[in-house]
Formats: sequence, C-alpha cells, structure tokens
Amino acid sequence: MSFAAYQPLLDFFLLSLGFAYSQQVVLRAGVFSIATPAFAALGGYCSAILVQRYGAPAIPSVLLALVIGGVAGFLISIPLARLRGVFQAIATLALVQIVVSLAYYLEPLTGGATGIHNIPKLVNTWHLLAVVAVVIWFMYVLSRSGVGRAFDVLRQDEMVGATLGVSIARYHALAFIISGALGGLFGGLQSLYVFTIEPEMFGFAFLTAVLTYIILGGPRSVLGPIVGTAVMVALPEISRPLAEHRQFVQGAILMAMIVFLPHGLVDGLEVAWRQRQARRLDKEDREKRRAHAVAGP
Amino acid sequence: MLSLALERVSKSFGGVQAVSDVSLEVTPGQITGLIGPNGAGKTTVVNLITGVLRLTEGRIRLGDTDLTEANASTVARLGVSRTFQNIRLLKEASVLDNVMIGFHRQEETGLAAQLVGLPSSWRESRSLVKRAQALLERFGMTRFARHPAGALSYGHQRRVEMIRAIASGPRVLLLDEPVAGMNDVEAAELGHIFEDVAKSGVALLLIEHNIRFVNALCRHVYVLDSGRLIAQGTPGQVMHDPGVIAAYLGTS
Ligand SMILES: Nc1ncnc2c1ncn2[C@@H]1O[C@H](COP(=O)(O)OP(=O)(O)OP(=O)(O)O)[C@@H](O)[C@H]1O
Ligand SMILES: [Mg+2]
Repeated sequence: MSFAAYQPLLDFFLLSLGFAYSQQVVLRAGVFSIATPAFAALGGYCSAILVQRYGAPAIPSVLLALVIGGVAGFLISIPLARLRGVFQAIATLALVQIVVSLAYYLEPLTGGATGIHNIPKLVNTWHLLAVVAVVIWFMYVLSRSGVGRAFDVLRQDEMVGATLGVSIARYHALAFIISGALGGLFGGLQSLYVFTIEPEMFGFAFLTAVLTYIILGGPRSVLGPIVGTAVMVALPEISRPLAEHRQFVQGAILMAMIVFLPHGLVDGLEVAWRQRQARRLDKEDREKRRAHAVAGP
Repeated sequence: MLSLALERVSKSFGGVQAVSDVSLEVTPGQITGLIGPNGAGKTTVVNLITGVLRLTEGRIRLGDTDLTEANASTVARLGVSRTFQNIRLLKEASVLDNVMIGFHRQEETGLAAQLVGLPSSWRESRSLVKRAQALLERFGMTRFARHPAGALSYGHQRRVEMIRAIASGPRVLLLDEPVAGMNDVEAAELGHIFEDVAKSGVALLLIEHNIRFVNALCRHVYVLDSGRLIAQGTPGQVMHDPGVIAAYLGTS
C-alpha cells in the first residue's frame, strides 16, 4: 500500500499522541487526573467556534485553545490541591462532565448535541508532525530537568518530596497547567483537522483510550506514550476482529498490563534492564573478589 | 550559622503522649546526640521538627525563624534535611537520580528556563551531575550510580539516603539511626563523614542506639524516655546517670 493509505492513520496517531502526553504529564507528577477530555473539548470548541463561526485564522485560534486549556488546568488545580488518588480522579471526571454538559447547553455557540460541522480543514499532516516534534522535544527537556525530577519524587513518595523542599501544590499546579495546555492544543488542532466537533467525541471512549496509551507505554519516559499510542492505534488495523471488539481488546490489554507490567512497556523494560545490569555488576564484583582471594598475598 | 531549638514541645496521638515537654538545642558545627529506648519518642521529635507532624504544644525555632506552624516543604527550604529510620528511597530510580533529587532546593534556573531547555539550565544540570558523582565518590558508592536504589543492600540504601540529605546542602541535618545494621568498621567510616559535615558548620542531630558510636561522636547528648527528657550532658555524664541506666535496664 502507498503512504497515502496510511496517512489518516498517521494523523490519528499524531493527534492521539498529543492527548497521551497531556495525560502522562499529570500521572508523572503523581496526580490521578483524568481531565484530558475536558481540556481537549475546551480547546476543540475554542478553535472550532473561532474558525467556523467567526472566520478567525488557524494559528491564533489554536494558540488560544492552548491558553484556555492551560488556564483551565491551573483553575482546576486549586480546589484539587487537597485531594489525592481516587478523589482527584472523581473530581476531574466531574470537570469532564461539566464541560461536556456545557457543550450540550450552550447550543447557540456549540451547536448542542449536533455539534459544529463543516469546520474548514486548516490542519494537515505536516502541521501535526511539526507540533508533535516540538511537544516531544518539550517533554524530553522536561523529563531531564529539575521539574521532571520533582514530578518523579512526588509520584513515588510525596513525603520525601516535601522533606526535600518540593512544593507539592506548586508542582501539581504546574503539571495541571501543562496537561491542560497540551489537551487544549491538540483539541484545537483536532477540530481544524476532522471538520466536525460534537460533545460525544469527549466521552468514555476517549477517556479510556487516552488512559490505555499511558498504562501501556508508561507514566515516566518520553518514549512510553509513543509506543503505547502506536500500539493502540495500529491494533485495529492489524486485524478486523480486533477492530470490531475494540472496547473489549482495550479492556483486556489494560487488565493484563496492570497485573503483569504495572509500569508500562517502556518504563517497565527500563527498570528490568537496570536491575539486570545491577545484578551483573554485583556478580562481576564477587568474581573479582574471589579471584583476588585465590591469588592471595 | 543557626541553631535549631525546641522549646517545651509536646505531641500526643489521641491518648498516647509520644513527646512531652521536651526542650533541646542542636548547635551548628557539632554533632548532638539523641538517645533513648525503643518508643521513647526520638523519631517523633524528628517528624515534629521537619513539619511531617504538627506539635500539640511548644515552639520550634531555627535561628529567629519560627518553624512551629511551617509545613514540610517550607521547613526543608529553610535548610533542614533528614533521613528516615525506615529508609525512603525511590526504589526504581537509579542511585544517581535519587541523589539528584536532593539538589532540588538549590536549583537556581527558573521554571520557565528549565522547561524551555535553555543552555543555562543544561549547564546547571551537568554541574549537578558532577556534584552528585563527587558525593557518591566520597561515600564509596560510585560503582552503584546506575543501580536501581531498591536493588542495593540495606547499608548501601542508608548511604544513598544520607547522600541525598547532604546533597540538599542542609544547615541542620537530622539522622535517624543512620548506621543501624552496619558493622563497626562501616559505622566508623560514616562517623568520619558526619564529623566532616558538622565541621563545615552544619548542626547535626544523631539518633542512635549504639552507645559507643554516640560516645565517639557527640559532645552533647539528650536522653529521652517515654517522651520525656530524662538527662542531658556529655556522653560520659549521661552514661553514668542513674535515671538513664534505669531506663535502659528497665526496658531491655
Ligand atoms: N503516627 C503515629 N500514630 C500514633 N502513635 C504514634 C505515631 N508515631 C509514633 N507513635 C507512638 O509514639 C511513641 C514514640 O514513637 P517513636 O517512633 O517516636 O519512638 P522512637 O524513640 O523513635 O523508637 P525506636 O527506637 O523504636 O525508633 C510510640 O509509643 C509510638 O507508638
Ligand atoms: Mg525511631
């Protein structure tokens, strides 16, 4: 098959990857947020309304989508500062519901249940590739910076983080802002790519898909979401039955990962590899000592 | 150089009075000992100082700064570092990464510069890696730099935790049984490092069961029993205090 046949798949992968990073960054900081669909919807409606209803140009519309997502992320981080774990999940799910309900109610603006159609297609594969490249670079820089380390310590042991001076509220807010900005950005791009936006696009299926990308790939590494998203986007293409039972396959993969590889493919392999290295070094050490003892003084 | 002072500090958990009316001072440039039988309240004192627990009564000061109401990350940013009795490392992260986290409060580059990846922030990163490696070297841990911290032996994990605390550049360092489970040679090695750290102007509080170790390192020792301060003075003085002898004999 020619490249053209795969192009829609590639585009879908690139958009999904953006949402995957939006989900990953909060999980990396130890925040169990599932607000990515809300951020995506905010950004999506922002650019759709601006472009389709007011004829605004693409770049400012998408940038505004990014800003709105980031601001929403910051705002939600304030009431959530005192919540942890499952309570964060419930509170962020409530945010998704509020945003989706608004999309239904504000019919004059959002088109209600039917949504907005005939949005000009202003975004193509090259645009997506360029934006994704920048995002990957950003995630890479983040992961190697002090911010990445602060996120890691908060995820693994909040108390240790606090006793080393990491401000939990500050870094959780930062994670929410980045998550919101990425969600808004890719929501904004998506509207200008798929012609159409409706509230249903940001429902349960979207949420579970995004979570699967990260649970499959891993919450820490930059490569994780790429692998997780690639697998989940490619699977339905590989065989028809997989496509027909998408929800079931997704559920089964999630369950298997959580049981067998809770750190995800990439992060999990990284940890396993490091442990193997450690064992090998220890063995070498013992052998050296033994040789030394035999040679003796 | 600032002293850390506890003034008539008490802490109760429901009905249990874990710490009652304790006053003590940790002075810069030396190692202060805190000893006492199991359950005496030593770890609770560290938790109160570091803002992990809220005190019921009393005051804690670092120089002129009141730490009584401060939360854990504020206390840390003022220069108080600690280790945990039940080692708390990031087990899957490498030893080097565990140490790097210790630098958090010294990182100078602003958030924005870090996120955009400006050369200044890369340079800082590189210099931090060098400093982390130097610290590992000093503790004889260089060859473990890439190991996942959780794969190390107990004694080595304790060292990593100490290196992390020292990496944070503390003014006050609280060590909760840092040589537990080590042999005398290893303990003495670490003892020398503690002395060096204290000499550099750090106020060091050492919680320890090994009396000989305390004897060798501390100029001033406080003895806790059932949450109360029952004696203080030079190691020689407290070791011959009848109350201290009774407390230790009575529980062991
Ligand atoms: N979080 C807590 N909740 C309830 N009780 C606690 C808590 N932490 C400590 N205690 C109680 O406070 C008392 C003092 O405990 P602490 O751990 O401070 O003693 P310790 O001197 O450090 O003992 P050890 O030498 O065994 O480490 C004990 O009776 C303990 O059961
Ligand atoms: Mg203790």
